[in-house]
Amino acid sequence: MRRIGFLLIRRIVGGALTLWAVVTLTFLMYWSISPQPGRFVYPVGPKITDYQLRDGAHRLGADRPKLTQYGDWWWHLVHGDFGHRWSFAHLSNNVLTTIPIGPSLYPAVRETLSLMIGGAILAVLISIPLGAVSGRRIGSIADKLISFFALVGVCTHPIVTGKLLTQWFGIDLKWLPIGGYCSFVNHPAPPGLSGNFQTCGGPVDWATHLIMPWFTFAFLFLALYTRMIRASVAESIHEDYVRTARAKGARERRVMARHVLPNASLRVLTMVGMDIGTALGVAVFVEFAYGLDGLARLSIETMTGDPFASATDLPMLLAVVTIIALIVVLGNLIVDTLYAVVDPRTGTADRPGRTKEIAAGVM
Amino acid sequence: MPSIVIAVTAVELDAPRAAPRAAWRLTLGRFLSDRAAVASLVAFGLVLFASFAGGPIVSALVGHNGFQQFPYATNATLDPVGLWSHVPTTQQVRLDEYSNVVPPPKGAPRTLMVLGADGALGRDEFIRVLDGGKASIEVGVFAVLISALIAVPLGCLSGFYGGKVDAVISRLTEWVMAFPLIFFLVFATVHLTPTLRPIGWGHEIPAGVPMVALLIGVFTSFYPLRLVRAQLLTLRNAEFVDSSRMVGASGLRIIRKDLLPHLVPTLLVWGAVAVATDMLLEVGLSVIGVGVQSSTATWGTLLAQTTGTIYDASLSGSAGEHHTTWHTVWPTIAILVSVVSLNQLSESLRRAIEPWRRA
Repeated sequence: MRRIGFLLIRRIVGGALTLWAVVTLTFLMYWSISPQPGRFVYPVGPKITDYQLRDGAHRLGADRPKLTQYGDWWWHLVHGDFGHRWSFAHLSNNVLTTIPIGPSLYPAVRETLSLMIGGAILAVLISIPLGAVSGRRIGSIADKLISFFALVGVCTHPIVTGKLLTQWFGIDLKWLPIGGYCSFVNHPAPPGLSGNFQTCGGPVDWATHLIMPWFTFAFLFLALYTRMIRASVAESIHEDYVRTARAKGARERRVMARHVLPNASLRVLTMVGMDIGTALGVAVFVEFAYGLDGLARLSIETMTGDPFASATDLPMLLAVVTIIALIVVLGNLIVDTLYAVVDPRTGTADRPGRTKEIAAGVM
Repeated sequence: MPSIVIAVTAVELDAPRAAPRAAWRLTLGRFLSDRAAVASLVAFGLVLFASFAGGPIVSALVGHNGFQQFPYATNATLDPVGLWSHVPTTQQVRLDEYSNVVPPPKGAPRTLMVLGADGALGRDEFIRVLDGGKASIEVGVFAVLISALIAVPLGCLSGFYGGKVDAVISRLTEWVMAFPLIFFLVFATVHLTPTLRPIGWGHEIPAGVPMVALLIGVFTSFYPLRLVRAQLLTLRNAEFVDSSRMVGASGLRIIRKDLLPHLVPTLLVWGAVAVATDMLLEVGLSVIGVGVQSSTATWGTLLAQTTGTIYDASLSGSAGEHHTTWHTVWPTIAILVSVVSLNQLSESLRRAIEPWRRA
């Protein structure tokens, strides 16, 4: 336990440092490209005057010293509310109304986490049997078929999988909804609309809306995990302890489940940890294909800039960057802890890296 | 002693030995005797031929190119014609008093569209897919060259000399690689588009291709950097490096003469996959709507026509309105064939170069 405790503390400190560095770097980078916050208050395009730029920046509090704004940002972050957006700032009767970031950020995080966690579970669940079948007899017809399937999975862009699945199962066959997200919790109808108000919510709606996104997400990773489990199984199937297990008369299924496959678990964990960043990149396209308003899509929209103001919304940018960094850091923390629990040899040493395969590209 | 020397000399002179075979010849032999390797090479060769020569050849055969718009290639609701259609080349669409489309006069010259038209604009989808391959492959190849240009010097510096430089570079690489690449790419592309996107060279290297290649190349250079660094770390204490050092070679000379040749196989194996990866990245950027401009055909922009971009989302906007599933399928098949063959090529190269290492 003590060993895991030390590891955790090291990891938490490292993660906090990463988080700090990422936020600070984003802040510095952003102010170095000379943004024009005033454009959000007066979205009048190229005709914007100097006065309007200064006045807008002043109303948004963006003309304060940079250090004050940086401190202010951390103050909001510590309170968990991320402050207010610059986009959709609305000036009327000399009063500026801005909308808080929290309400548009937290639902997006929920959607993306539903997508990523469900997709990851699906990918691991499907790839274990495929990898086991494939790795037991390298070169058999089943192995060749599965390897080809894996290759196609890696080489198909998620947006294409998404588009084709939507077309076939959503539009042509009408089996599944073509997109959108339903909350896991069933929200009651608003007071005025209790009559024939069509609610969309609850676990069943949530799952049916997410089946295709999960599969699209899993299709890419499935391939990588299948290949990796295949290699691991092929390696350990000829080990002495497997022969011993067989000699004792253990059934084939028990040999696979108890002696061969556990070897792959460490590699799977390592891969899951390293794929969190990649997965967020893949999530962009999955959310995009199914019209989910998740975190990945929100980040891309923030990074491409507000089309009305033709400028970038700094508080929102910082918020999404922080959340992404938080997800990567926390995900790695969880994986590291699991790794230390599963593999008693892990002490203070770092877990082994793996060569990133080509899915890294898609994302 | 002398007798032994004579004996050895005699053996060397007498035995009709086969000429010593160079290592690369052995590798080539292994590569060519692998069916999957040859198949992938042929497949990618065909893709290359179709992309670079296919467009002009088909244009010459059917008499129009991928930029010409044919109003009669769409019906009254702007839906494009389907596979293998003969389309009137009449440029003016006449309407009758009820604004119905009047069919063109009898005997009007017609032209063949093999895969039909590409959407409301009525351009030839087949030629656009072929031309799109040219731009996509150029993006992939240029990006790989750029990232190799960045990665090899930095990797050598980091792996051979080590120390503080190495620490900084490795830390940076780890941080950048932990975060989704697409976000960096999108952010950089959005801010550089006004300055970099117009750069191009006629129809050979369409405008936008150099920008996308440059950005993808820069942001993907971390992976080869790690490869080069890892390789140099294992090689820098090898005996042949020590012997070079003993005869007084400088570090630069050792890297150039002794170590760089060792990197070639690694970089070849990486390069084949990386071209495929970079092509997929280009698709991603186009689908997001920040890559090559949508009027230029690449496989990414052809897909983006049907899926929509963030500026014109598919579920609510008009993207995909005048497109069928076929318009998704054609570029998908093209991408799949080239990416699968490049992956297999890389895998076969690795097997041919290092036959002792298993999958």
